[in-house]
Amino acid sequence: MLKIDNLHAGYGGTAVLHGISLHVAKGQVVSLIGSNGAGKSTTMRAVSGMIRPTAGAILLNDADVTGMESYEIARRGLAHSPEGRRVFPTLSVTDNLLLGAFPRFTGSRPKGDINADLERAIDLFPRLKERRTQLAGTLSGGEQQMLAMARAVMQNPDVMLFDEPSMGLAPILVEEVFRIIERLKQEGVTMLLVEQFAAAALNVSDYGYVLESGRINIHGPAEQLRNDPAVRAAYLGGSH
Amino acid sequence: MEVFLQIIFSGIAVGMIYAVIAFGYQLTFATSGTLNFSQGDALAFGALAGLSIVEHLHNYWLMIPVVMVVGALYGVMIERLGVRPALKIKSEGWIMATIALGIIVHNVAENIWGKDDLKFPSPVSEIPINILGANVLPMEIIVVFGALGLMLAVELFNRKSIYGKAVVATSADRDAAGLMGINTSLVIVFSYALSSLTAAFAGVLIAPLTLTGASMGAALGLKAFAVAIIGGLTSGLGVIVGGLILGITETATGFYISTGYKDVPGLILLLLVLAIKPAGLFGKTAIKKV
Ligand SMILES: Nc1ncnc2c1ncn2[C@@H]1O[C@H](COP(=O)(O)OP(=O)(O)OP(=O)(O)O)[C@@H](O)[C@H]1O
Ligand SMILES: [Mg+2]
Repeated sequence: MLKIDNLHAGYGGTAVLHGISLHVAKGQVVSLIGSNGAGKSTTMRAVSGMIRPTAGAILLNDADVTGMESYEIARRGLAHSPEGRRVFPTLSVTDNLLLGAFPRFTGSRPKGDINADLERAIDLFPRLKERRTQLAGTLSGGEQQMLAMARAVMQNPDVMLFDEPSMGLAPILVEEVFRIIERLKQEGVTMLLVEQFAAAALNVSDYGYVLESGRINIHGPAEQLRNDPAVRAAYLGGSH
Repeated sequence: MEVFLQIIFSGIAVGMIYAVIAFGYQLTFATSGTLNFSQGDALAFGALAGLSIVEHLHNYWLMIPVVMVVGALYGVMIERLGVRPALKIKSEGWIMATIALGIIVHNVAENIWGKDDLKFPSPVSEIPINILGANVLPMEIIVVFGALGLMLAVELFNRKSIYGKAVVATSADRDAAGLMGINTSLVIVFSYALSSLTAAFAGVLIAPLTLTGASMGAALGLKAFAVAIIGGLTSGLGVIVGGLILGITETATGFYISTGYKDVPGLILLLLVLAIKPAGLFGKTAIKKV
């Protein structure tokens, strides 16, 4: 479904990723774990076209999307819920959700039933229900995170990238985020997940990659990584 | 009292023209952080094109949609030639580029329509109507409602249609809009088209009240820029209030002091706003790069 091969990327001449390869198969949840600054968000940005890779290839549904603009990659079925939520503050919750379905309105993605999906998104994220007409900028941080995830669901994508969906949330909301990821997984959604709570992320994942300074040295089935002493010591220490 | 009302009414008509051009500045600033400094030339070009079109169509009202298309194409050209190359390399080159393109358009207009000011036939009676003792030209009323109507139409489009929402999203967060599958480069082209369409529309609104010529837009474009700064580059309401303030103070100064000093209060106001509230009276973010 999503295949990254020998990806190099960075910012204005500074290389951050030094040739990483990973694979997310259909229906799988894959975690990318690593310490702060390892390049997890950079990987996601390169995949979704927010930054242009300097070398390597990205395949989405077997099609080469390397170097495409982010709107083209989104229209080909990739949703990226970026670090820091990035909801549209001056638009209502409903409008934010409808914009997730933008390519479906314009015919560049299969239309499906947008209204039914709106109900489904609200159903998945019940906290948004009472706030449909509220401006996204006036939501609490947790609610904005829910909205950012719901907006990605509205894209009805083939692959979803979630970059730290639990960032800055109270523990009870962190649990809710993981419950939602679990539920999306049961619905068959393919996901690449970056989470500070690496242990919880590996619990919902099928496979994991460990990113260190822009390189992947360790990867394997989530079960195996959870029991790997080196991974445990470096990444699974404090988390639940 | 009657004189005072007269000043208010005349000021409102001029002020709404400033407002609608300033609104055009806002449209491109919102999506791309850039301004089309050839808006005044778009206005003059629109008015002159409108004059030629009216000569063929013999109908002012049918001419308006045609001029809007001309204005939109003008905006697309400015974006392609002057703005996109600069945005691509994140430079401020668009400032000089849009000014230069405006000068070229000005010269082209002079060569097509000549340097002399032309009379634009009024589509309505030129006999003033008496409102509470003040004389108001029917065309002045059309100017006010035309300008308000256009701004309202754009606002409705932004709020109600999914394409308008995509424009708002691009203005709020261009990267995130791209992730939603929105072609943000196209949105910027569109905002330039809409912005110049607005200026061309303002041109054919004001033309029957003034003289029409290649240079008619220079002062209007500059004053509308002042209005955009006074009202705030992000507030639709701000440009209306700013336009009215400028229009009315100008008319009042022209009457009570001297027409020679007509432009002074607006500029003083501009300097005051820049010193005290750089984001504009209604704006949230200050203009940083210009
Ligand atoms: N916009 C940017 N411009 C320049 N350098 C950047 C930019 N964003 C990230 N970097 C640098 O790239 C490196 C990797 O950053 P990245 O955001 O990918 O890390 P991360 O693994 O997501 O970390 P975190 O867990 O803190 O989110 C860091 O050294 C960072 O300073
Ligand atoms: Mg990150």
